[in-house]
Amino acid sequence: MSAAGASEVGVRLAGHFATVEQQRRAAVLGMWAWLLTELLLFAGLFLTVLVLRLLHPEAVQEAARHLKFWIGAVNTVVLIFSSLTMSGAIQLSRLGWQRGMVRCMLATAALGTLFLVLKGTEYHADYEEHLMPFLTERPYALDHLPASRLFINLYYAATGLHALHLFTGIAILLVLTRQASRPGFLAVHQNRIEIYGLYWHFIDLIWIMAFPVLYVLNR
Amino acid sequence: MTTSDLALQLWPPAASATAVETDWLILAFTVLTLLLTVPVFVAITWFAIRYREGVRADRSSSGVRSMPIEISWMLIPFLLTLIFFAWGARLFFISKSPPADAMVVEAIGRQWMWKFQHPTGQSEINDLHIPVGQAIRIRMTSQDVIHALYFPVLRMQMAVLPDRTTEMWFKADRTGTYRMYCSEYCGTDHSRMDGRLVIMTQAEYAAWLQDSGAQQGGQAGAGRAVYEAYGCGNCHDPGARVRAPSLAGLYGRPVALADGRTVVADESYLRQKILNPNRDRLAGGGRQVMPAFQGVIANDDLDRLVAYIKATGPRAEQEDPR
Amino acid sequence: MSGSATTGDAHAFRDPQTPDATLDREADYLHAEHTLRSWFFTTDHKRIALLYLASITAFFVLGAVTAGLVRLALVVPDGQVFSNDTYNKLFTIHGVVMVWFFLIPSIPATFGNFLIPLMIGARDLAFPKLNLASWYVFMTGAFFTLVSVVLGGVDTGWTFYTPLSTAFSNTWVVPALIGVTIVGFSSILTGLNFVVTIHTMRAPGMTWFRLPIFVWTHYATSLIFLLATPVITLALVLLILERAFHIGVFDPAYGGDPVLFQHLFWFYSHPAVYIMVLPGMGVISEIVPAFARKKLFGYKFVAYAAIGLASVTFFVWGHHMFVNGQSDLASLAFSVLSFAVAVPSAVKVYNWTATIHKGSLRLDTPMLYAMGYIGLFVLGGLTGLYLATLAINQHVHATYFVVAHFHYIMVGGTVLAFLGGLHFWWPKVTGRMYVESWGRISAFLIFIGFNVTFFPQFILGYLGMPRRYHVYPPEFQFLNILSSAGSTILAVGYIFPMIYLVYSIWFGKRAPANPWDARGLEWTVPSPPPAHNFLSEPKAPEIPYDYPIQASESQRHHS
Repeated sequence: MSAAGASEVGVRLAGHFATVEQQRRAAVLGMWAWLLTELLLFAGLFLTVLVLRLLHPEAVQEAARHLKFWIGAVNTVVLIFSSLTMSGAIQLSRLGWQRGMVRCMLATAALGTLFLVLKGTEYHADYEEHLMPFLTERPYALDHLPASRLFINLYYAATGLHALHLFTGIAILLVLTRQASRPGFLAVHQNRIEIYGLYWHFIDLIWIMAFPVLYVLNR
Repeated sequence: MTTSDLALQLWPPAASATAVETDWLILAFTVLTLLLTVPVFVAITWFAIRYREGVRADRSSSGVRSMPIEISWMLIPFLLTLIFFAWGARLFFISKSPPADAMVVEAIGRQWMWKFQHPTGQSEINDLHIPVGQAIRIRMTSQDVIHALYFPVLRMQMAVLPDRTTEMWFKADRTGTYRMYCSEYCGTDHSRMDGRLVIMTQAEYAAWLQDSGAQQGGQAGAGRAVYEAYGCGNCHDPGARVRAPSLAGLYGRPVALADGRTVVADESYLRQKILNPNRDRLAGGGRQVMPAFQGVIANDDLDRLVAYIKATGPRAEQEDPR
Repeated sequence: MSGSATTGDAHAFRDPQTPDATLDREADYLHAEHTLRSWFFTTDHKRIALLYLASITAFFVLGAVTAGLVRLALVVPDGQVFSNDTYNKLFTIHGVVMVWFFLIPSIPATFGNFLIPLMIGARDLAFPKLNLASWYVFMTGAFFTLVSVVLGGVDTGWTFYTPLSTAFSNTWVVPALIGVTIVGFSSILTGLNFVVTIHTMRAPGMTWFRLPIFVWTHYATSLIFLLATPVITLALVLLILERAFHIGVFDPAYGGDPVLFQHLFWFYSHPAVYIMVLPGMGVISEIVPAFARKKLFGYKFVAYAAIGLASVTFFVWGHHMFVNGQSDLASLAFSVLSFAVAVPSAVKVYNWTATIHKGSLRLDTPMLYAMGYIGLFVLGGLTGLYLATLAINQHVHATYFVVAHFHYIMVGGTVLAFLGGLHFWWPKVTGRMYVESWGRISAFLIFIGFNVTFFPQFILGYLGMPRRYHVYPPEFQFLNILSSAGSTILAVGYIFPMIYLVYSIWFGKRAPANPWDARGLEWTVPSPPPAHNFLSEPKAPEIPYDYPIQASESQRHHS
């Protein structure tokens, strides 16, 4: 199990489980169930985007052309890389290479933060271009296409909800990294890294769906 | 006859062939329901007596295989009820396909009144007069929230949606005065958003169309209905909780504005103030809470409302002072 | 198995001479610890179930009082009792509280929490801390909803249809929406916990087809929690964004589609009906065999029917919108799919009836509730088919016919099952027996009161009285008075159990481990159960519902 220089890897049994194997299965299944729920949450959003597209094709296309395609594209790459580093963290945690794992986790958090910074830049650019129809005091650039407001609003709702997930994800990741850098962590809680990895990949996956649904399909 | 003559009703009157068929549909469905449920209820009661603990009874297993039983009680009731699905669907689609010669009535729903406009131009509020034996097609839209137009006597209702047009059609075959409701919950006075459906003979209808112009002559009278329908009184009536400025006698009076000017409340002032109350704020520091009615109130209703406001109070009899 | 032998067996149950598995008082979960802390920070699923029981009972009282005021207002046709606004707020609070704060958590969060680990032979749910968290989330949602009530109430109806809720209502919509959104997360956490627990925590030998139907129906319910709840979370979040921040998606002023909200709303809220109904079916499936002393008829069919209902319920939401401007073809499809719900429902009802056949019946309180449930559920279910019939729906949609229909399902179904389950498991939960005669009296009162209250509403609906009407035509007054009179009987029927059950906690007879001589692992542990559920390794029964009288099915392929 452990190579030279690697720490012991394992999971400590919690009181109400009969075996470690049962505990592991429960944790994995629990995360999958949670992700299933999250998927349905975003599915409703994406479906609403597509319905809007059917109802008002021109307004939606025009609005989508004002989205910052390249920022979105770069962000997609950033998140895919973050999934790579997260996978690295999981793999290293299995091998018991705690230090490398912690570095990978920090890199993941950094990439996640980069995504949020880019997203913030994009929001700022949107603001500069008067693409915030909900600001009642500020004129709206696409006022001649009333239905474009709906799409733009939904864009903020969808990306905002995703950003909220990512923000929460980074916060949890940092706490987890702090715990995971303590000696002996992997001997008792290795599966936390795996479980958390599922969540991170999921946030990534949601963006990979959101990007085409919002930015690409409607152009 | 009016339905309100009756103290207790157990079956609603029907005034169209569709309504009568809907009644047959539900009655036949009820017969099937009874066939399916009465045996269950009788069986449960009978078993409760027959097989009560302590009662000597044959409790040996009957050895019946459960699979065929399960399959049969899954499928037989389902297939029987499907007859009613098909019947109901047929009737529904008939009520969705208006004949080409149908007379088109435009309907507008808003909090909390109905307005109907006849093809000849006459319009009426909260009542709908229609001729018997003539296919009527109602095209509906809402100016605010979702409403629904419901005629129990025709066994028919349809949602009235903002910014969209929905339709229903029917052919009444019985004269009389019946009830009409808003059946989609629409806020405070939802339950007051009702009215009458008056089904008349062709001749009576023609006569009514003639008269209705005269009925509408009192603009101010119609304006009173508009005033109530928009709930103006909730704030502007004396004693209302929100102490909005009184409208009685307002017309023709000078009004002090927040920016120091004084204007006379003439017709265009009233109009502007209804459409956009945020402009020309009043002096006195009261909070401006009135919603803007720009795009909410139709022009003809605004005329009526202004006529009503002009008609209230002491200055009404005098000529415009300016 | 001969008839006389079975009767003899059945007589033996409840024999006071039977020695009980007794337990030191200190070791049971109620007395293991006494501090407030030990209750509010407990991770014991049984204590959390009691926290939920107390909370939902409080909400039930609030919902029932508002219902009583609604019925009071409707005694007169001209709306003289309250203002229209007050009336609208009353029925909105009644709906919101009863749906989200009583019916949806009712059976799963209390009996489900208490019993699932016991029934499958586990020490606790898979995630005990998450379970406690779900109660706190529930209470947080409740807090927001109560804030909206205290500040002045909401008047949108429990359905929150836009644009009324987003642009026109002048009431405290946002806190109510936030409350309901938050409470959804507590459902999700409960459902997640149940799914994982049922998958991974079963005792050795407890295979899927040895599970009680109660566990099956809770599994099906949990799937709905997981798959449907997030959709309403989204719909409500979009409403909040639209109302509070003008980030509108449904606003018709810009070409938005308010019916889209209805689709998202009913995609959850129709399956939510099965969140309310399925656990009740689970309760009935436990009670009926226990009091008929007979194996449940068609076990596998009943189990599959639960999954079937949970699946088909995702494809019928459009039957709430036949006259709301959805396309006619969509209506046609939703209509026929709704008829398909009759199949698994019929399986349940006929199998319960067949279970009673040739049983040895004891008509104790839980069984009275179960029989009442079957009757009322059948009526509610079949009137549901009327509503699924397009032409009939066109007439009775949004009338009192709908009100009567869903009260038959939710009160006749869920509430009766809840009360039946409460009486059935009360000895297990509290370790005390209630007074049987009082139980029977209240069961009859509720059954009669319920029917007098709600049956007239079917007629009112067919006559054309729209729901949510404060002012109504005078010709409907007689039936409304009848309905209001019935509700007073119902109220007495509700108050009775609250009194005698609470009385029993201090003064009731000590309950034995298995007062009904029922099967199932929860009856093998002492009453009340020890803090860690099982004193020795639980042994899964080879056959579920192994009662003295065998149903024909198991004779066929007897192991």
